[in-house]
Amino acid sequence: MKIGFLINPIAGLGGSVGLKGTDGLVEEAMRRGATPIAGERAKKCLQEMEIDDSSIILTCSGAMGEDAVLSNSQRYEVVYSFAGRSTSDDTKNACKRFLEEGIDLLLFCGGDGTARDVYGVVEKEIPMIGIPAGVKMHSAVFAISPKGAAKIVEHFVEGKAELRDAEIMDTDEDAYRRNELRMKVFGYAQTPYEPVLVQQGKSLFQSVSEERAKEEIARFACEFMLDDSLYILGAGTTIQKIAELFGLGEEKTLLGVDAVKNGKLVGKDLNEQELLQLLENEKEKKGNQGNQGNQAKILVSPIGAQGFVFGRGNQQISAKVIEKVGVENVIVLATPHKLSETPFLLVDTGSEELDELLSGYMSVISGYRMAQRKEVRRG
Amino acid sequence: MNEREKIVLDEEEIPKEWYNILADLPTPLKPYIHPGTKEPVKAEDLAPIFPMELIKQEMSTEKWIPIPEEVRDVYRLWRPTPLYRAFRLEEKLKTPAKIYYKWEGVSPPGSHKPNTAVAQAYYNMKEGVERIATETGAGQWGSALAFGTCLFDLECTVYMVKISYEQKPYRRVLIETWGAEVFPSPTDRTNSGRKVLEGDPECTGSLGITISEAVEDAATHEGTKYALGSVLNHVLLHQTVVGLELKKQFEQIDVYPDYIFGCVGGGSNFAGQCYPFVGDKLRGEKPDLQVISCEPMACPTLTKGLYTYDFGDIAMLTPLLPMYTLGHDFVPPPIHAGGLRYHGDAPSLCKLTHEGYMGAVAYHQNEVFEAASLFARTEGFVIAPETAHCAKAAIDEARRCKETGEEKVIFFANSGHGHFDLGAYDAYHAGKLIDYEYPAELVKQALANLPKI
Repeated sequence: MKIGFLINPIAGLGGSVGLKGTDGLVEEAMRRGATPIAGERAKKCLQEMEIDDSSIILTCSGAMGEDAVLSNSQRYEVVYSFAGRSTSDDTKNACKRFLEEGIDLLLFCGGDGTARDVYGVVEKEIPMIGIPAGVKMHSAVFAISPKGAAKIVEHFVEGKAELRDAEIMDTDEDAYRRNELRMKVFGYAQTPYEPVLVQQGKSLFQSVSEERAKEEIARFACEFMLDDSLYILGAGTTIQKIAELFGLGEEKTLLGVDAVKNGKLVGKDLNEQELLQLLENEKEKKGNQGNQGNQAKILVSPIGAQGFVFGRGNQQISAKVIEKVGVENVIVLATPHKLSETPFLLVDTGSEELDELLSGYMSVISGYRMAQRKEVRRG
Repeated sequence: MNEREKIVLDEEEIPKEWYNILADLPTPLKPYIHPGTKEPVKAEDLAPIFPMELIKQEMSTEKWIPIPEEVRDVYRLWRPTPLYRAFRLEEKLKTPAKIYYKWEGVSPPGSHKPNTAVAQAYYNMKEGVERIATETGAGQWGSALAFGTCLFDLECTVYMVKISYEQKPYRRVLIETWGAEVFPSPTDRTNSGRKVLEGDPECTGSLGITISEAVEDAATHEGTKYALGSVLNHVLLHQTVVGLELKKQFEQIDVYPDYIFGCVGGGSNFAGQCYPFVGDKLRGEKPDLQVISCEPMACPTLTKGLYTYDFGDIAMLTPLLPMYTLGHDFVPPPIHAGGLRYHGDAPSLCKLTHEGYMGAVAYHQNEVFEAASLFARTEGFVIAPETAHCAKAAIDEARRCKETGEEKVIFFANSGHGHFDLGAYDAYHAGKLIDYEYPAELVKQALANLPKI
């Protein structure tokens, strides 16, 4: 098995000295006395990793990989070299080399920026695991620790791992320039995870795969979505699966917010204003018909490693939109695996009052005609 | 006299008759419907899989049905079971209420199940049946029937869900110790099993498949019958030996309960404990008595289900039963109270609930284990996760009494120990239990949208 391995040597540099990320701020971080941590964290991961000689690590020269592999027993080969200080382009070029070499798995060490660079080249083609070392780590490809990453690699090599979709998230630079810190989902990578046999109930249950879990959720959603309510569909692969089973095919935007009514797409990649307008029209229409029943519902799935229901990656569904629809018409859906990864879900709508309303215990649809009670907190 | 901690009857006081609540129902129970003919099920329809005496009991409206001496003899092994006053729990809760529980965990398999397993084995033996086939999820019912059949020298074949067979072996070992044969289902012994294996050789099994295999085994082999551990009238009938003892025990100390709580999966345990008291209510003697079924939020049949005819199993082999149901195709989430994971409930219990003679509550599993832990730390017994549902209800009611100062008498049916469920306790202690719940509103919306057949 071929494992591509790279380090972003400057990842995490800004964090210790109070910078919100390291992108474009290396000089400043160094001036403030930052010390590189990525190399150390990557080394720790490799020390923990037990893989035999049938696997080979393909890596980059120096601080981008070889320095961390050197002291270990794993078989390795340098396939990409760089000079001077490594840049974002080096990460991307290394990934291209890895693809040429036909790697089976990509292990990288960095933060959200690195994940985005890697994803930009690799996309869904090759599964990836992140060793957490950055300042921002909202992306769901990161293991919980260097040791955790090592274990997942081992399971993958032994053929015990399954794959799931994982958000690649980073700050929205447009918003950032407007002085707003917003998270954006850039895409969905593939990441391995270890399915566990859960001993629950009087008999045992094999944990279902992510794909199967999504299908079950979607099958249920398709049943209750047949009424004439307007459905606002959030971002992500779980919601996309619903759209697919609902017969919308490829029409649903993966990263955007769409709207559906009576089985038809009535709005695509909508922003906050468009959503508000749509809701307003709907209200008028129903009002004209003398119908005071359910006007609209919001279907969302938690996004990113921290499990944000609102406020990260789907800010189009703003406080105003949620208030207009009504908290009681928010339907949250998530796979059991996703729910098991976070002790509670988070909301950060920008309105304290609304966050308060959304907090507490929520019934989250987690399967076919099945839900889990999950705590929701203010993020 | 009523300060006793443990109220124990003499062996001779084991009831000599079972109580049949069908005799006291204000209106008759609706018939079971044959899935093929859509006509009410007749005795001969059931004859291929049950012995005639049990079919008669299933359809009887006689109020009292004699318990054979041979069955009473076996009951003596652990019956009468003790009634406890939970002084230590009351003290901990600082409640003025009096809490009682009847402890069925003293039976050899550790629960109420052998009360009917022994009786069913006996009637099969009397009619010359040589072997009984049954299904079991993780082994609670299978082990009780293995125990019952071994006392009457019958052979017993248990189809056990394969993944439990392989990975949760202790109940399987019990079954084998009592001399029964256990097969991991799906097997290649039946058409239904072979059919499943053809499609998926790696299939890890389900209760639906095991039922099909056991029924097919019974229907296709001379001298072999099938046995069921809950839901049906005759099973509930056998369990009333518990409630009848309980009545005598309360009479001995001159107490009558205000509240009776019990957990409900198929309903036989709770029906057995409460029906003799529900009879008092039906006859107008105890109008204020509160009888409450306790069920999991993950499978809230009585609190969220629909009252209608539905199949008893996922494979649609059984007659259609009039009951509260979440749909025969509903697969409840994997909660630890496995015995409560059933989509329907006993028809008589459903009717009594529907007509308001009985009530129902539902709980999340974490709060249930919290109650079970409190119970273990005060009364000592580590109870089954199923049983813990009604312990939770009793504790809640006792707490309410503390607020109001009422000296109510609270009883709960302590149906079994949790010694094979320590993994569940372990998960609870580690904070790993998931609070599953049934999305009733959305399911209702979904069902309303579905095309009518």
